[in-house]
Amino acid sequence: MRRQLPLAICFVMGVSMVVQFFIPHRVSQEFYRTILDWYRIVFAFSLVLGTGTLIKVHWAKISKKSKGWQYSIITIGGLVFMLAVGFITGIQEGTLFMKIFEYVEVPLEATMFSLLAFYIASAAYRAFRARTVEATLLLIAAVVLMLGRIPFGYYLWHKIPGIAEWILTNPNMAAKRGIVIGVGLGMISTALKIILGIERSYIGGGK
Amino acid sequence: MTTIVLLTLLYLQISPPKDVRVFDTPNDAGGSITITWESSPDAEGYRILRMALPDSVYTPVDWVDAATKRYVDKVEDGVKYRYIIRTERGSAYADSEPTDEVWSHGNVFHRGRTNVLIGVAVYTTLLLSFIYFAKRGKKLFVRKIAGLDAVDEAIGRATEMGKPVLYIPGLSTISDVATLASLNILGRIARKAAVHGTRVIVPNRNPIVMPVCQEIVREACLDVGRPDVYREDDIFYITFSQFGYTAAVDGIMLREKPAANFFLGMFWAESLILAETGASTGAIQIAGTDAIHQLPFFITACDYTLIGEELYAASAYLSREPLSLGSLKGQDWTKLIIGGLIVAGVILVSFGSDWFLGLFSS
Amino acid sequence: MFETIGIWIAALLTLCIFSFLYKDNPFYKFAEHLFIGVSAGYWACYYYHNVLQPNLFVPLFQEGRPIFIIPLVLGIMMLLHLVPKISWISRWPLAFIVGTYAGYYLITYLQTNALEQVTATLVPLVTFSSVVLFVGVTTGLVYFFFSKEHKGTFGGIAKFGIWFLMIAFGASFGYTVMARISLLIGRMTFLLKDWLHIIQ
Repeated sequence: MRRQLPLAICFVMGVSMVVQFFIPHRVSQEFYRTILDWYRIVFAFSLVLGTGTLIKVHWAKISKKSKGWQYSIITIGGLVFMLAVGFITGIQEGTLFMKIFEYVEVPLEATMFSLLAFYIASAAYRAFRARTVEATLLLIAAVVLMLGRIPFGYYLWHKIPGIAEWILTNPNMAAKRGIVIGVGLGMISTALKIILGIERSYIGGGK
Repeated sequence: MTTIVLLTLLYLQISPPKDVRVFDTPNDAGGSITITWESSPDAEGYRILRMALPDSVYTPVDWVDAATKRYVDKVEDGVKYRYIIRTERGSAYADSEPTDEVWSHGNVFHRGRTNVLIGVAVYTTLLLSFIYFAKRGKKLFVRKIAGLDAVDEAIGRATEMGKPVLYIPGLSTISDVATLASLNILGRIARKAAVHGTRVIVPNRNPIVMPVCQEIVREACLDVGRPDVYREDDIFYITFSQFGYTAAVDGIMLREKPAANFFLGMFWAESLILAETGASTGAIQIAGTDAIHQLPFFITACDYTLIGEELYAASAYLSREPLSLGSLKGQDWTKLIIGGLIVAGVILVSFGSDWFLGLFSS
Repeated sequence: MFETIGIWIAALLTLCIFSFLYKDNPFYKFAEHLFIGVSAGYWACYYYHNVLQPNLFVPLFQEGRPIFIIPLVLGIMMLLHLVPKISWISRWPLAFIVGTYAGYYLITYLQTNALEQVTATLVPLVTFSSVVLFVGVTTGLVYFFFSKEHKGTFGGIAKFGIWFLMIAFGASFGYTVMARISLLIGRMTFLLKDWLHIIQ
C-alpha cells in the first residue's frame, strides 16, 4: 500500500502516456489534456502545503527567538497580508493586491535579475584567471560573441560579426547537438527506470 | 463574326481540376477530410463544394487561390460526403467530377510516428538487456567523472568543519526529468551525509518537490541507521517566485555558511547569482544541469560541473547499483548506434542519397 | 499619490537589494524576507483564483461534474503530507504526476532530442562548416560515452569534444552579456528617471 501502490500508479500512468502518444484519436487527446489540467490542480494544493511549511519554519524561528527571528515576522506579515488582500479584493488589475505586486514584487524580481550584470563580470574574470586550454577557448568565444553583438566589434574589425555568427551556427550548434542527444538519452533512460520502478526516489527510495 | 464567336467560346472554355482525391485525414483525432487535386492552368481560384449524404445539393464551403492544391475540410465524424472542386475564372467556371463518398473518423495509430515507436522499442530493449546482464552479476565499467568523485570530498569537508551541506534540487517541478535525476542524487548525498551526521539543507522553490525531498532525506537517514540526523525544518519551501527564491538562497549561503553547495537539476538565469554567491563564501561547489544556457555560468563559478547527460549518469555512478549501471550501459550503446547512424547518414547524404533522412522524420 | 508612494517603495527596495553587492546587511535581509512573504502570498492567491477556482471548484460544485472529484482527492492526498502518521498517502498523487510525465518525456524526448537532432546533423560534407558540425556532434557524443576511460586516441577525441563544448559555452556566455547589462540599465533608468527624475 505504501510503496507498491504508488509504483503501480506510476507504471500505469507512464504506460498510458506512451500509448496515448501514438493514438491521435479524440478520446486520447482529451485524456492527455485532462491529465495535464489535473496536474495544475494538484500543484495548486501543493502550494497550500508549501505555504504551510513556510509559515511553520518562520513561526518556529519566532517562537524560539532564533538568530534573525525579527525578519521572520516580516515574511509572515508579508505573506498573511498578501493572502488576506488577495482573497478579499481579488487579483484583478487595479486591486490593492496587484498594486503591491507591481510596486513590491516586480521591482524586487527585476533588481535581483539585474544583479546578473555584476555577477557576469566576476564570472568572466574567473574564467580569465583559469589558465587552461578549455577556459581560454571559452573566453575567446565569449569575447568574439560579445563584440559581434555590438557596433564596437564591427569598428574594431568588420569581420567580427560574421565570425561570431559562424561560431553560433557551427561549433556552438554542433556541441549543443551533442549535449542534446546525450541529455535526451539520459532523460529517456531515467523516465523508463521510473516507470519500471527501478528509480523510486520520488517516494523516498527504499525497497 | 463566326471566328470571333468561336474564339470567345474557346477563351471562356476553362478546364476543371484533374485527379481530385478525397480521403479521411490520416493520423488525426477525426473531424476532417483532405481533398487534393492537380491544378488547372485556367484557374484564378477554386471553390470547394460539399454535399452531405443523403442530401442532393452541393453547397460551397470555401474558396482558395490558384496555387492551392490541397484542402482540409472540417466535418462531422461518421457522415458521408462528396466533393466537387470548381475552377473559377471571372464569371466562368468548370466543375470536377464528383468525388467518391468519404467520411472521417479518429485514427487509433499515428503512422507518422512509427519511427518513434521503433526507437522506443530498440532503446527499451537495449536498456532492459543491460539491466538484465547487470542483475546477473556482469561487471560494468564506468569511466571516472571528476564532479562525482568530488562528492565524498565535499561532504567530508563539511563534516570536518562542522558545517552543513546545501542542496538545491533545481528550480523546476517534479515533472521535469532533470529534477527527478537530481532527487536520485539527493538520496545518495543525504545517505553519505547522514553517515557522518552532517546536516543537509534543502530549500525548495517548487512545493511539489519539497515533500519528496523530505521523504528522500528521511529515508536516507533511516537507511544508514541515523534517524537522529534528520531535521524536517532543514527541508522547506521558500516561494515559487524565481528570484525571491534566489534572494533567500543567497541569504542562506551567507548566513549558514555551508561548506559544500550542490546545484543539481534544472536552472534558469538565477544559476549565476547562486553560483557566484556560493563561490564568494569559499564553499566547494558541484553543479550539474541539462540547461545548456546555464552550463557556462556553472563552469566558470563552480569547482565541478556535470554537463548534460552526466547529471543523469550521476545516480548510477554514485550508487554503483547494477540496475542503474545497466541502464547507463544501455545509454552508451544507443549513443554508439546514433553515432554510427550519423556517420553512415552523412556519407550517404554527401553522395546525394536522401532516403536515409526520411527514416528520422515524422 | 498612490503611484508616488509606490515608486518610492520600489526604489528603496531596489537599493536594499543592490546593497547585497557590498555584503549581507539588515537592509538586504529586510527586502529578502519581505520578498519571500509577498511572493509566496502572491503565488498562493494566483493559483487559487486562476487554477483552483475555475478548473476545480466551478466545474465540481457549480457545474456538478463528478469527474473532478479525482483531482480534488489527489490534491487532498497531497495535503495529507502534513499529517505524519498518514503522510505516505501523498505518494499517490506524486506517483500519478511522476508516472504521467515520465511517460510523456520518454516519448517526446526520443523524438525531439534524438531523431530530430540526428536528422539535422545529416548534411553533405561539402563545406568547412558542415565538417565542423559533423566533427563537433560526433566528438561530443564520444565525450559523453561512459563505458571507456578517456585515454589514448579515444581520450584525444573526447578532448576535442570538450573543446567544442567550451566554445559553445563561451558563445552562450558572450551572447548573454549584453542582455544582462541591459537589465541593469533598466533598473538604473528606473532609479534615475522614474524616481529621482535626474534624466529625462
